[in-house]
Amino acid sequence: MSSLTRRHFLTTTTGAGLAGILAAGVPPARGQQREISYLCWNNFAPLSDKKLAEIGQRFTKDTGIKIKIDHIAAPQQAAKYAAEVQTQAGHDLVEMRMHVPWLYEAQLVDVSDIVANLEKSYGKVIAPGYEAAHVKGVWRAVPQYHSIFVSAYREDLFKKASLAAPKTWEDLYKVGLELKKMGHPVGIPISQNFDTISTGSAVMWCHGAMEVDKDGKTVKINSEQTAQVVEWYKKMYRDCMEPEVLSWDDASNNQSLQQGKAGWIHNPVSAYIVARDQKLPSADGINHHLSLSGPGGRHDVTAPRSIGIWKFSKNVEPSKEWIRYLLGKKEVYDEYIMSGGAFLLPLYTKLQDHAVLKTDPKLATLKGEGTTYHTYGWPAPASDKVQLITNSFILPNMLAKAVTGTSTKDSIAWAENEMKKVMAGS
Amino acid sequence: MAIGSVGIATATRSTSLRSRVSELLDRESWLGPIFVSPAMVLILLLVAYPFCMALYFSVSNAFIGRPSTFIGIRNFINLWDSDAFRQTFQNAFVFCGIAVGAKVVLGISLALLLNQQLWFKRLIRGAVLLPWVIPTALSTLGWSWMFNSLYSVVNWTLLAIGLIDPPGPNWLGQKYYAMAAVIIVNIWRGLPFFAITLLAGLVAIPKELYEAAEADGAGPVARFWHVTLPLLKGVLGIVVLFSTIFTFSEFNIIYVLTHGGPINSTHLFATLARQVGLETGRIGEGAAISLYLFPALMIVVWAQLRYVRKQAY
Repeated sequence: MSSLTRRHFLTTTTGAGLAGILAAGVPPARGQQREISYLCWNNFAPLSDKKLAEIGQRFTKDTGIKIKIDHIAAPQQAAKYAAEVQTQAGHDLVEMRMHVPWLYEAQLVDVSDIVANLEKSYGKVIAPGYEAAHVKGVWRAVPQYHSIFVSAYREDLFKKASLAAPKTWEDLYKVGLELKKMGHPVGIPISQNFDTISTGSAVMWCHGAMEVDKDGKTVKINSEQTAQVVEWYKKMYRDCMEPEVLSWDDASNNQSLQQGKAGWIHNPVSAYIVARDQKLPSADGINHHLSLSGPGGRHDVTAPRSIGIWKFSKNVEPSKEWIRYLLGKKEVYDEYIMSGGAFLLPLYTKLQDHAVLKTDPKLATLKGEGTTYHTYGWPAPASDKVQLITNSFILPNMLAKAVTGTSTKDSIAWAENEMKKVMAGS
Repeated sequence: MAIGSVGIATATRSTSLRSRVSELLDRESWLGPIFVSPAMVLILLLVAYPFCMALYFSVSNAFIGRPSTFIGIRNFINLWDSDAFRQTFQNAFVFCGIAVGAKVVLGISLALLLNQQLWFKRLIRGAVLLPWVIPTALSTLGWSWMFNSLYSVVNWTLLAIGLIDPPGPNWLGQKYYAMAAVIIVNIWRGLPFFAITLLAGLVAIPKELYEAAEADGAGPVARFWHVTLPLLKGVLGIVVLFSTIFTFSEFNIIYVLTHGGPINSTHLFATLARQVGLETGRIGEGAAISLYLFPALMIVVWAQLRYVRKQAY
């Protein structure tokens, strides 16, 4: 009988073990510890990111699934999604803004089962959430929250100068003249960022202008109404704002209001809640009023966000578990919404009168009675093309060209040409 | 007895194997490729593979996450219809021309200064390298605050000393100022490379040549033109060629400071390629943008290598 040496034992067991793993294609139990990764943006309501981390830890404790939450700046999200899709590697879950689920429809797991359960508890998903994540009859992402654009202004300055809060975009021009004289210009960004598209879209809709027609195919930006919008922007830039708006990112208008410079901005309530939470001197003077109207009525803009799961993820079930935990447990979802101080608003019918709206009298505007919220591209139906027009920043560049010297006609013609190229793309 | 025979046979086999291996390693034709192979594998994986992928993408209608087809050089032709690309093409030459030109002049001046007998010479030479050593994204973030429209310390200083009137230039929001800002940061970042490399060239110039020139009555300017500059030409040529390539392909400074704005006025090939290829998903077009100057840069590299060989032999 030959004796078993240590070397022989190790060789045999290691070889057999490796062969077993390779044959089964499944890693051993130790390597199977469930772990998921979730990519989100750096929320403009920073406390909600802290809360998310806290909820993540509780999720791990309750379910045994480890979660790694990564944050990146909003402008980097589009490139990050693209890189993950192209390499078929990266996070399991991604938080998506606006119509991104349409753009990556083929790459996203069907999450209709989760949404169906959420709708049973919270009521139907409201229009912006539906438009953003319900792609060709399938939920490609789970509606998470939305951020409504309102008018954030320095109420103290308005009172001091006996100015009334504007009701129309034209009123804003008149008020803006005074504000600039007082050294507190209007702060509407005109640069490659999402806030420029948000405000620009609202101004367009209120003037009856549109980028793409209801048929979702015909580019309609070259119109008399768009020309009126461009002319309005030109005089606002010239008389009521400062050139700095051409270099702003999504945070700059918030900072300008918080630091006491801007007298009026068009933004979600994040500027105020950060000023309030950080006890900035400007916080007391800031208040909100409804977004403005124009010859075409009042049309407000909102930015929905939803959570999607990549098809290449090897952890689809644990990922769904996380969404159910964060959004499906009423107490957890409430806690998350409350942490955002009304920058995060629920996207489900029965939750519209949420307690977060009662936490501060300055958030009353957000109840938005009689308001119709649209997502980018309206009245064209949601599509990947709409998202590509967003990602190409055509509207901001058209406005920036116009206010820096290009004629209204040429600026619009340029935008029309760029949009046609996007619509013609495969 | 049997055990002893096996032991001897094994020992003989291992000795002959060892001698055969050492014999192989003695041969240059084997040893050379063995040493080079790890580097070659790395180059193939990290350079050749992505490069070939980029080449393939540039001649296809590749869109993120969708199947693609071969379309020849249509991307390269269609790019000329895009005013963003035409603007970028112009920006690249303006940015590179001014930045490299300024770095040459300032680099030589700084190198001459550092070559003098100074107090704390080593400390100063070390400090000069700081912009080159600090991660670009981090240092550029600092510059973005310095140029920020709300908090600009540059404007604050210029206002305080009465050089400008309020509110001061909008560094990142107006196209000429924005271009000036990114060029300034590129010069700040690239200057140490010029200065330290040229300093090495200066140190290598024999002192006797200066003494001889001085004895012949040459002043400082004449010594610079007739001794320093001709002998620095070799190093200067290499530095300029390297810097031209680096400056043309600049990404970090533009991305952090301006994102290519306002209205594409500071986009360079790398930043526009990222925007088109990743943010709008047209990866084929993005690859074509990033490869547009490849033939020109190849000529630059060829010239560089030719120059180096000429200097060496």
